[in-house]
Amino acid sequence: MSIVACVKWVSHPGEPHDERFAGMSPADQSALEFALQQAALLGTGVTVITVGPSGADKVLRDALACGATRAIRIEAPTTAAGTDVATAIADHITDAEWVWCGDYSLDRGAGSVPAFIAAHLGAEQALGVIHIDLAADGVRATRRLDGGRRELLGLQAPAVVSVEGATARLRRAGLASLRSAAAAQIEVVPATTPIHRAEFMVRPYRPRARELAAPAGDTPLDRLRVLTDAGAASVARGEMVALEPADAAARIVQALTDWGYLPHG
Amino acid sequence: MSTPDVDVVVVGAGPAGSCAAIVAARAGLSVVLLERGPFPGSKNMYGGVVYPRILDGLIPNWWEEAPIQRWVTRRSTMLLTETQALTVDFRSEAWGKPPYNGATAFRPDWDHWLASHAEAAGAQLLTDTTVVGLLRDSSGAVTGVRTDRPDGDLTARVVIACDGVNSFLAKEAGLYTHTDAKHFTLGVKETLSLPKEVIDERFAVRERDGVDIEIIGGTGKVNGGGFLYTGLDTLAVGVVLKLPKLAAQQQRPEQLIAGLKQHPGIAPLVQGAELKEYSAHLIPEAGVAMMPRMTMPGMLVAGDAAALCLAAGIWLEGVNFAMASGMYAAEAAVEAVRKSDTSAAGLAGYQRRLEGTFVLKDHRKLRRAPELVLSDRVQHLYPPMVANVVERMFHVDNPNPKPGLRRILDQERRKAGVKRRDLLRDGWTGFRSFG
Amino acid sequence: MIAVVAVREGQLPSGGDEAVAECGGRAVLIGSGTAAAAADLAGIARTVTVVEMSSFQPGAWAAVLAPLLQHEPAVVLPGSPDGRDLAPRLAALLHRPLYAGALSVTPDRVELTRRGGTEIHQTHPGPDFVATLQPGVRGVTVAADATAPAVTDATPTHLPRQEHRDATVLAVLPPDPATIDLAEAPRIIGGGAGLDDEARMQQLVRIGSAIGASMGATRVITDRGWVPHERQIGTTGVVVDPDLYLAFGVSGAVQHTSGLGDPAHIVSVNVDGHCPMMQLADLAIVSDANATLDHLARLLGADADADVDADSTDAATGTETA
Ligand SMILES: Cc1cc2nc3c(=O)[nH]c(=O)nc-3n(C[C@H](O)[C@H](O)[C@H](O)COP(=O)(O)OP(=O)(O)OC[C@H]3O[C@@H](n4cnc5c(N)ncnc54)[C@H](O)[C@@H]3O)c2cc1C
Ligand SMILES: Cc1cc2nc3c(=O)[nH]c(=O)nc-3n(C[C@H](O)[C@H](O)[C@H](O)COP(=O)(O)OP(=O)(O)OC[C@H]3O[C@@H](n4cnc5c(N)ncnc54)[C@H](O)[C@@H]3O)c2cc1C
Ligand SMILES: Nc1ncnc2c1ncn2[C@@H]1O[C@H](COP(=O)(O)O)[C@@H](O)[C@H]1O
Repeated sequence: MSIVACVKWVSHPGEPHDERFAGMSPADQSALEFALQQAALLGTGVTVITVGPSGADKVLRDALACGATRAIRIEAPTTAAGTDVATAIADHITDAEWVWCGDYSLDRGAGSVPAFIAAHLGAEQALGVIHIDLAADGVRATRRLDGGRRELLGLQAPAVVSVEGATARLRRAGLASLRSAAAAQIEVVPATTPIHRAEFMVRPYRPRARELAAPAGDTPLDRLRVLTDAGAASVARGEMVALEPADAAARIVQALTDWGYLPHG
Repeated sequence: MSTPDVDVVVVGAGPAGSCAAIVAARAGLSVVLLERGPFPGSKNMYGGVVYPRILDGLIPNWWEEAPIQRWVTRRSTMLLTETQALTVDFRSEAWGKPPYNGATAFRPDWDHWLASHAEAAGAQLLTDTTVVGLLRDSSGAVTGVRTDRPDGDLTARVVIACDGVNSFLAKEAGLYTHTDAKHFTLGVKETLSLPKEVIDERFAVRERDGVDIEIIGGTGKVNGGGFLYTGLDTLAVGVVLKLPKLAAQQQRPEQLIAGLKQHPGIAPLVQGAELKEYSAHLIPEAGVAMMPRMTMPGMLVAGDAAALCLAAGIWLEGVNFAMASGMYAAEAAVEAVRKSDTSAAGLAGYQRRLEGTFVLKDHRKLRRAPELVLSDRVQHLYPPMVANVVERMFHVDNPNPKPGLRRILDQERRKAGVKRRDLLRDGWTGFRSFG
Repeated sequence: MIAVVAVREGQLPSGGDEAVAECGGRAVLIGSGTAAAAADLAGIARTVTVVEMSSFQPGAWAAVLAPLLQHEPAVVLPGSPDGRDLAPRLAALLHRPLYAGALSVTPDRVELTRRGGTEIHQTHPGPDFVATLQPGVRGVTVAADATAPAVTDATPTHLPRQEHRDATVLAVLPPDPATIDLAEAPRIIGGGAGLDDEARMQQLVRIGSAIGASMGATRVITDRGWVPHERQIGTTGVVVDPDLYLAFGVSGAVQHTSGLGDPAHIVSVNVDGHCPMMQLADLAIVSDANATLDHLARLLGADADADVDADSTDAATGTETA
């Protein structure tokens, strides 16, 4: 049985511009934890793989410290496009039977790499999983559906599973394994296919103006009103004030009272 | 006893710890450097000026690679009253060229850089790892540390405690006979961002040149001092406050920084700057008066952990004392390991080095300074007195003729309610310390 | 452009109608009850191809769809759970790039939300591509004369040889009871990464119970493990529709706000006045959310020591099982 965990070296949301805080996302940590638990159950090891520059060795060492048995880094820039990342990974793990991923990477956040890997391997997939049951004869995964409903899937190898960050807590590495991991050997390999940089024009987020039902109302004024209080996200909607915390709290209570959520007096 | 895991465990990857690790590792010892933060320096703060000359031997031409913000070529000392500011301003071209004097730098950058040299030297850096206890043998000698990780014990021939102010290790080993709130000051600091051109213009500096302003007074009723340093496109403004007074006055440190920033002498310098970060940290202020025993069988204590920070009013130097004591501790550890005698006697080389160098020499010389600088007279009586004297000296009050200096001095002294005896005594202490 | 929408028992997924609208009313509906779903698209869809299939099988469905879509340059799926599963399989079979989580899609311009919804990445795709559209970002207008779309059936007589294996669907479970109080809550108090400590979530619960609101959180908070995932509000979490939403330290990323319904009143406390949540708010207060919560707790008598109504706590933390 070969078990693979795909982990990505991503900047810390709180410190997006300081590489020294970068590491594994919570989702990837959950993925690694399940890989390790499954390996223990099936009496085998875990291969961790990452696609990225040399800085990405950090997440591999962290994974080794937690008990992964083999670490591979495919040389590529952090900007590598998701399809290429998936291809590069799939080409290196053709014999993989269980592939564990996070449900989406903090920076790209497309959630597409796992499915691409599944497509390449012709494997079963369960994506965005929120609950896992591991068994010797397979894996049961619960994934989210619309409207809060969930789908219970039965998986057989080969399969790719992507899990949300809250599904498991990664174990804390012991001191001895931490030390050996710090010295451990990491296999660095070139990508088998060319890696394209994803080229984008980047700008800060602004909501898209939402299409709204044609305004109902008899007079133009009524129609205008309908338009203006429909929650069009593209424009600031209400009052903005800068307040000291104490005043902020008071202002909130007042608003709740004015709006009738709290009794007067 | 069974052979230890490593020769030396260094606890804390601050300036003291990293320098200790560099020295020990370069001497061929097996070294583990433990740091609780995600990377060295990640959580560390200080005012902003380092005096790195002590690195000359350790990292030749350090100035070519050190992550510094600006070279301090202007050093001012400000005496503040509510409405007045008396500034002694010094500027030196020499401080702007190798080997330089002081430099402003960010701790995460500085500590991270020093630690990378420790790793390059062969020390093993383990982050996100907190030391939670000491391992001792039956005789009480330290044989290693316990970390917060699973199977987290690590045995060593020598432990070097560089875990900073209020050292948990030194305390657990019982090296601090007494700790007392009045021995600490609270340092609080705001990092403000301002465009480089604006800083250059306001502080009259160019390129990489920078300014270090030490401030006496300006902290209202709470005894203390302040500082204002220039980064490349940031300012560090902070106050250092006597703990008991702070408690008594029931004032929040933020308010005091705000007060300092509003002072007519400071406001124009920080005007329009944007708050990036607020941080606070204790400073071991009392020097010799509070220093613990720094050597015990199997363990040495260096840097702030040993209260080696020199915080004497117009001086606030800790990083250089930390780096030096870390190096000396490691040198002693190397000797001890080589002759496999890590008893107190075997490690005695540490104390010898401290005594023989600026580390303890400066501390002894300045041992009365902290108390003097933070005394009520110096804090609350002298500044207005001196400022008034100067104001009257330069105040042209024609048709009245200029008054004589002696008369002004005497009148202002009485106005300030300062006894001649105290003035002379303080003057003498000050002279012996700073002179 | 053509939309591909996965249908379950005649139900359109979240954002299905938006994907169809984005493609000017051209759609392929695949799944069970596609005819019924097509009828629901009256006034939005013009031409619909239906492919009737049994339970959701991304591998197999992609194999069936690929031939139908070969000559369609731009294919758009809703970023619903099924769409997000199906899109990469389609892209892989069609050998096309995938643009996932788009804010808007046109044949020559795609806008994607990235870095936790804080950035928009714009690109000019090649002629052929597959994209998924973030549910809830677009909205739809239903034409006044809602004529039913022209429907053609393309259900294959026999499935293509199965070179792609799919997971077996063991069960479709109803919404987790632990999420119901949130999904149906008329008032919600939500916490985000601006909160400084896990204990804040309990404070939210206490304040919530003082004003009759359930506690919800952003993905960052559930990822931190501060509250169970049932508390996560958003497109991949619980979709809610309260009258009142109080947001503390929430940036308002599109994946969060898309699951937020359209509250009559929104209060947002954030240090950054420019973030989307502040733009959406009726009362946007620039302040430290943590200190504000402490004061709010005091004002509402919801301090830690204050005695809290037990069941409301359970309900709001999702520990209640009934
Ligand atoms: C407000 C302020 C302004 C200052 N200004 C200046 C200045 O301008 N110039 C100057 O030279 N000095 C200044 N100092 C003093 C200077 O910061 C210190 O003297 C210096 O940092 C001491 O270095 P150190 O290595 O001994 O300790 P620290 O720098 O405190 O490093 C201790 C390290 O040990 C780690 N650690 C602690 N406990 C554990 C544990 N149990 N397990 C693992 N790791 C642990 C910490 O994370 C930290 O990295 C200032 C201090 C303050 C508070
Ligand atoms: C495929 C996909 C699906 C997703 N699904 C969901 C989902 O269902 N639900 C969801 O919530 N997210 C979801 N996300 C994540 C989403 O993109 C954002 O990352 C997330 O919503 C951000 O949560 P946040 O606002 O808590 O954190 P951040 O975006 O980091 O925002 C933190 C905010 O707190 C403010 N702040 C910081 N300090 C303070 C302070 N002291 N006082 C006040 N304010 C402060 C900051 O200014 C900032 O606005 C999804 C992402 C992807 C890619
Ligand atoms: N560069 C990468 N290296 C290794 N794994 C990756 C990489 N990019 C994405 N992944 C995996 O795919 C998951 C989803 O990422 P994405 O498709 O980029 O949102 C991540 O949580 C990882 O498990």
